[in-house]
This record gives sequence, structure tokens and C-alpha cells, in this order.
Amino acid sequence: MSARATPGVAGAALRSLYPIVIGFTLAYLMQTVVAVSIDDYYSKVLIDIGIAIVLGVSLGIVNGYAGQFSLGHAGFMAIGGYTAAAIVYYGSIKLFGTKAIYGGSLGPGELLLCAGCVAGGALAAVAGWLVGQPSLRLRGDYLAIVTLGFGEIIRVLIKQTDDVVLSEKKVAAASWWSLMDNLGGGFGFIGGPRYIDAKNPFWVWLFVVVVCLVAYRLKYSNRGRQLLAVRENEIAAEAMGIKTTKAKVSAFMTSAFFAGIGGGLYAHELGNSMRPADLGFQKSIDIVIIVVLGGMGSISGAVIAAIAVTLLPELFRSFAEYRMIAYALALIIVMLLRPQGLLGLQELWEVEWRAVGRSIVTAPARLVRWVVTAPTRARAALKAAADRRQEDRS
Amino acid sequence: MTAAAPVAPLSVARPAPALAAVRLAKSFGGLKAVTDLSFELPKGGLHGLIGPNGAGKTTVFNLLTGVYKPDAGAVHVGGQPMTGKKPSEIAQAGLVRTFQNIRLFGDLSVLDNVRIAAGVRARSGLWRSLLRTPLYLREEAEIRARARQLLDVLGIAHRADEIAKSLPYGDQRRLEIARALATRPTVLLLDEPVAGMNTVEKKAMRGLIQSLRAQFDVSILLIEHDMGLVMDICEQITVIDHGVTIARGAPASIQSNPAVIEAYLGVPDEPAPTAGEIGA
Amino acid sequence: MTKFVQLLLQTLTLGSLYALIALGYTLVYGILRFINFAHSDVVTFGAWIAFAIAGALGWASTGSPVFAMPVVMVLAMAASAALGFTIERLAYRPLRKAPRLNVLITAIGVSLLLQNAGQLQALFGKDPVKMPRLLSEAPLFKLAGVQVPWVDVVLVVLTIALVIALQWLVFRTKLGQAMRAVSWSEQTAALMGVPVDKVVSITFMIGSALAAAGGVLYGLKYRQLNQTADALWMLLGLKAFVAAVVGGIGNVRGAVLGAVLIAFIEVFGAGYVSSKMPDLFVFGVLIVMLLFRPAGLLGTPTVEKV
Repeated sequence: MSARATPGVAGAALRSLYPIVIGFTLAYLMQTVVAVSIDDYYSKVLIDIGIAIVLGVSLGIVNGYAGQFSLGHAGFMAIGGYTAAAIVYYGSIKLFGTKAIYGGSLGPGELLLCAGCVAGGALAAVAGWLVGQPSLRLRGDYLAIVTLGFGEIIRVLIKQTDDVVLSEKKVAAASWWSLMDNLGGGFGFIGGPRYIDAKNPFWVWLFVVVVCLVAYRLKYSNRGRQLLAVRENEIAAEAMGIKTTKAKVSAFMTSAFFAGIGGGLYAHELGNSMRPADLGFQKSIDIVIIVVLGGMGSISGAVIAAIAVTLLPELFRSFAEYRMIAYALALIIVMLLRPQGLLGLQELWEVEWRAVGRSIVTAPARLVRWVVTAPTRARAALKAAADRRQEDRS
Repeated sequence: MTAAAPVAPLSVARPAPALAAVRLAKSFGGLKAVTDLSFELPKGGLHGLIGPNGAGKTTVFNLLTGVYKPDAGAVHVGGQPMTGKKPSEIAQAGLVRTFQNIRLFGDLSVLDNVRIAAGVRARSGLWRSLLRTPLYLREEAEIRARARQLLDVLGIAHRADEIAKSLPYGDQRRLEIARALATRPTVLLLDEPVAGMNTVEKKAMRGLIQSLRAQFDVSILLIEHDMGLVMDICEQITVIDHGVTIARGAPASIQSNPAVIEAYLGVPDEPAPTAGEIGA
Repeated sequence: MTKFVQLLLQTLTLGSLYALIALGYTLVYGILRFINFAHSDVVTFGAWIAFAIAGALGWASTGSPVFAMPVVMVLAMAASAALGFTIERLAYRPLRKAPRLNVLITAIGVSLLLQNAGQLQALFGKDPVKMPRLLSEAPLFKLAGVQVPWVDVVLVVLTIALVIALQWLVFRTKLGQAMRAVSWSEQTAALMGVPVDKVVSITFMIGSALAAAGGVLYGLKYRQLNQTADALWMLLGLKAFVAAVVGGIGNVRGAVLGAVLIAFIEVFGAGYVSSKMPDLFVFGVLIVMLLFRPAGLLGTPTVEKV
């Protein structure tokens, strides 16, 4: 019955885990080959892209697959980030006796970072479960509002924590439990070891591969199709025997888990500030943009959008000021013209490029036709309105 | 194999009916949509539920499938009480429906629509799916095979990769039935399966419905406006009007029942149903 | 006792403010069944445009005439109504038949656009400003040792007047009848000859005008106007939305009841329980409400048609 009883155990294990091996290889290459051969600036941009991918793809699981709109992704990110930061900072002091970076590549310090990120993800998933309980039973737009409120609550709660991040001496004397309150308050969590920098992108890329793998295997599995069914028609999904509430909650938790990991990575990247103000509504919107633009339900779409959203402000310095305005317009225009997002449910390799090419080639002609026929249509609309008024009067 | 539907503890004397409604009642505000409705659908039976527009037929389906909670009465599937359970639980117990206003997973492929239904009892959870364990792979293969087989039976296999909402109307109805059957139901509720179809399509659908019973070992309850079809294929017909059962019996006795004729023809505003009328 | 009266007064003023904003959410939801995410930004716009109008009319300094407040108020309401009309026409109307998620995302887009466009130097700029004193500083009267300033009285009285006017409009006029018809079923209303587009437009304009009234009164009471993308505005809108949900979204009386209730919880929670996190109480109420009575206090549960 189970894998153990059959002879192909090794084969099965290999089949189930080989992408992780590839992920390790990729992350290792990014660290040892790419990071050393390119400028630190570009390497840093690459890391930012990686974290944006983790956040975007994870939001895509709940937003794209299950069709549940969450505006609290930054809240989950904050939970994960602060958890990881606290574990790594206070843990380093307790375990290694220093708050500085400890051990080399894959050394004890980095393993603590990994553990911190996973713990942060787990706590974020628990929070996802809590938030999902009331709101996933209700209509979609309530969920948006509740998650928005949730993100704000998280921000307020973190702000209320003690704004002193304890020094090495004090930490040694304090209990683990009492440290939970010293998260830096409104100033942010300052002083932790920054394991991720231009020369050390390993963990970011490892988690990028993990989140993409999870999203991919989920999407093309029975469970993933059930989520899509909920998104497409919740009543029909329930009528076919899918436990829709359970499906939604599990999507929400998976998504929150990786948001937490993204937060943990973000917290340990050199140069990022870990302040409540940076992890508010605006951050959630940044991630929503990635999903909506890339295509709701498309992993490769989210990756492309994450790259674009990270690169644009870098390419055009003046863009920063108009960034949010551009995003806002992009959201509205995409919803009006291509509501499913750039790629929709499709992945890059599933797109029928022939048809896309045709539609791009014919676009000018269609535009011309639209402009030429505009007066006719306007006249028709006016006439219809006049007719209606006439009818009203009679 | 996926887990079989829970089997009712069979009494030796008389097998439990596939589906039984006992004195169901439901009102919305002051409107009594369904009053004191009882019926039994034996295993392998094909029964019809008819009535003029607004008689409460779809409400009955919603009560049976758990979308609405009845004010009074009970629903049994294969002898098991279903009252108060969620629609998904009732579907897992073997009672599955199609919708009058088609509800497909519109943006997904035809194959995926059926695969979703074929996989509702799969045991692989999130972890197995992510790790692609042997059990998961076996289940996925089974799901795919079953979905393919159903598309074949319903005659829409050639459209497997098309997007569901792009199908022509008749094929969408077929896909709904394929999807419902994929869940391995014991009872199938069909809500106006030939609504909006032309004569040729209707004829094909009639043959299909009749063949489904034997092929999938399923009992069928049918709501339909098309009298010809109902009279032709149903063994027993229940007629309701304003939520009240006004007649029950074999097609021949229904056709000559004065109460039925009055319900359809008695009110001048309401035209008698003609072949091909689309239900509102 | 003094503290109690003070808190009660705060509850009344804050509740009035929430009510004015909550009405906009409830009106739009009642008719189109969608949460107008950009509503809080219309409040912000109302407050800032009032500031701009007062400046343009030369009332930025002290000693403005008595009629300054009503004039500014009416102009700000008119400007916001125009904004509401434009938003509905350009962003929401094309999506009337689209899935809810798309409308929601569009609304978020509109909200972001208003927030960030408002911060452009050409519009309101990036720095907080002080609303001019258009109302007398002197207290109007004293109640149990608590001084009651003009602005509080104006705020409460004006809100009551607007709510009564709205009630009259919805339940006693032909327009209100049309609004209720559209809310019942857009399609049926259209078939019965109700000009749906017009009714929706007017509803948006009314909601936006009420929001502007709330924004102006907010400015007059608290004086400080934060920049348009500040989280404070969003939080204000969010709490008003919670009020609408708690009262029963889609229900005018419910919105007022919910607003007073939320203000009460916030003010008395901060006054007697913990001053640190009044917002947490508010969201706590929202979650309890959604769990046990999702239709709200005065709302009727709806069943989705199958």
C-alpha cells in the first residue's frame, strides 16, 4: 500500500524531492557564482526580486487559486518577520553569545535564520487560521475588509511592544518569555544580524524555489483544482461535495505561511528597516499589485510582475514619486480591460503565443475601427437615450 | 479506489429507498414555498417532479441538497438521515445535482471540471499532493481516467481541453451531468436537463438519461417542464403546485388527473407548459 | 461624573462623524451590493477641499464671518458629490455586471489613486495642514462641569438633520422609491422603467456629499488634516464601515445605530478599560458580529439564489 512496502522507495523519494535538490543547486549557484560576479547593487536588486516573488506567489495561492481577496498579506509578513527577527537576535545571543553573524555558509547562525523563518511562517499560518475562521464563511469583500483590519491590528500591536531591543548583557539575564515584548515598538527591530546581503542571497533563492514548487504542485493537484472550483463557483463546488470552508482556510494558511517566511527573509536582508510603518497597508497593496497584474492564478505571471514591480522604481528614479499613482491606474485599467490579469490562470508555457501575436498585430486596426465608429456609436447611444425620454413622457 | 459511499444499514424486510423526503416544509417570510412534501425514490428508480412555474420545484431540490434548511421534515439518502447537514456532506453521501441555471467552473477546462468532481473523495491531502507520494500519483491517474471515461460517455470527450464556458449550451448541460456523475452518486437530481434544447438535442438527452441508470447504478429524480420527456421516461411523477403535492402516480394517471389539469390550465394568466418551454 | 459626561459627549460627536461616513457605505452597498472601498478617500477629499475653499475665499485666518462655515460646507459637499459621480461613472459603471472581485480591486485602485494623487504638490501636497477655525472657539454651554464647544453641537445637530433628511428622501420621495426598487432588483427595476443608471449616480452623489460633511466636520473638530495617503483616514473609514456592518449594512437606521455603538465602545473602552488600543475593541466587535450575526443588528439575512 504505502511507499515503504514497494521496492521503489528511493525512486519515489527522488521523484517527490528532486526539485528541492535543484533548488539547493540554484541557490548555491546564485551564492557562489552569480553574487560574486555581479555588482553588489544588482545582486541586491535580485534579492529584492526574490523576496517579492515569495510574497507574490504566496498571495497568489489564496487570491488567485481560491479567489479569496486578502488585503492583510503584510500583516502575515510582519508576524513572520518579527518572529524570525526575535528568534534570530535573541536566539543568537542566548545560544552563541553574540548578536553578530555567527558561522559561515550553512553554519549554525544561518540554520537559526532558516529555523526562525519557518517558525515565523508557522505562526503566520496560525494567525491565518484565526483570521480565516470568521471571514471565510462570509462573502469575499468582507474578507478584504477583515484582513485589512487584521493587518492594521498587527501593526498597532507591534507598535505597542517595548521599543528597547535588549542588549546582549540584558538578554542573557532575561527569560525567553519576557523577551517577547521587546520587539522595538514604533522604532522597529534594530540591531539583529543581517544574514542576507548582496554576497549572501542563498536562503532567498532557496525559498523562492520552495514557494514556486509548492504553488505549482498545488495548482496541478486535486487539492489545487478544488481551490479553483471554489473560486469559479462556490455553490457548485459545495454541491459536488467539496468542503469549501476547509479548502479556503487551508489556502489561507498556506499563503500566510509563505508570507511569514517572506517576512523573515525581509527582516534579515541588509538595508531593510523592520518598522511597523513599513509593513502596513501599502506593503499589502504592493503584493496585491503583483498578483493582479501577473494574473490571478498564474505563478509565472506573479514572477514576471514581481520582477517588473521591483525593477521599475530602480530603472526610473523619478518613478518613485508617482509609483503608487501608477499602480492605482494599473489596477483600474487592468480590471477594465483584462480582469483576469496579464496571464490569467495560464502559465507562461501554456499561453498560445500565436493567438497573442495575432491580437497584438491586429490591435492597431481594431483601435482605428473603434475610433472611426465612435461617432456612430455615440449617436446611437444619444438616440436611444432620447427615445427612452420620449417613451417616459408618453 | 476512492472510499465507497457510506452504505445504509439495510433492513432485511425492505431495502431503504435511495432517497426519501419526509414531510418537508419550508417558507420564506410569509410565503409557504413547500408544504408537507413526502416521497420515496427507490433504488434504480427514475421519478419526475413537475409543477407550473413557481410551484416550488427548485426549492425542493435546494431542500434535498442542503442548500436550504427545512423548517420541518427530514431527508434520507440511502436510509441515512441528512437533515441539517451541509451540501458538501450530503453530496459526499451520494446525492448530487445539476443546476437549472448552469453552474460550471467556467474558466477551467472541460476535463478539469470533471476531474474536480471525480476527486472529491480522494484521500491525498495537502502534504501528499506537495510531495507527490505514490498514493497521490495513483489517485491522480484514477481521477483522470474516470474523468476521461465520463466525457466519453457523455459524448464530449473531443472538447476535453476547451474552456467550459465556451462550450455550446447543450454541451454545457452534458458537462454538468458528467461532472455530477463523476462524484459517484447514488442519487442524481437533474434540474431541467433539456431546458433550451432543440428537438434533436432533446431526443439524444432522453436516451442518455435512460441509459445512465443502468450504466452508473444511479437513481434519478428529474425536474422538467417538457411534459413529453417526463411522461415518456419517468416511472412515477409527483406534481406540486404552490408547494403542495396535488398528485402522484404513473404518467398515464397524471395525464388524466383533473387536479393537475386545473393547476396548469386553471389560472388564465399562466399558459400551459408546451414542449420546449424554458423554465423561469 | 465629569469624566462620564465628557466621554458621553465624545461618544455623541464621534458617533455622529462615523454615522455620516457609514451612511455612504450603506447606501452604496444597499443598491449595488458592493463595498465602496474608495469611500474613505472621499471623506479625505471633502476635508481637504474644504480647507482649499476656505483658503481661496480668504477665511484661512481667524475672524471669518458667521456664514463661512455653511458656505464652505456646502461647496465641499458639492465638490465631493461631483467626485463621487465621476468615480461611479468612470470606474464602477463599466463593471456593473463583472464579478465582485473585479469591482473590489477597481475600488481599491480608485482609493489608491485618490490617496496618492491628493499628495501631489499640484493638489494638496505632502504635509499635514491645520483647518482654519470657521467656528467660534468659545464654549456654547456647560454641562455637569464639561464645556461643550460650538463645533460639537454643530456636528451632532447637523448629523441628526442630515439623517432625518435622508430618511425622508429614502422612504417618502419618488427618488427614494426608485432607490429601494433598484436595491431590491436592478433588473426588475430597469424593466419597470426605473432609470437605474441615474439612480445609482444620485446615490453615489448623496453618499459622497455626506462623506464630505463628515470630512469637513472632522477637520473643524480635530483641526489637523493629515496628508491624503495617511493611514489615519483609512482607519476612520474602516471604523465607519465597521459601524455600517454592525448596524446591518444596507440599512440607514442601522448605520446610525452602529456608528453610535462603535463610538461608544471606542470612547468608553479607551476611557475605562485601556487607552492604548481602542481600535482593537472596534475590530473585536466586528469579528464577534460577523461570527454570530453576520447580517448586523438591523439587517435581514440574505440567501443567495441557487
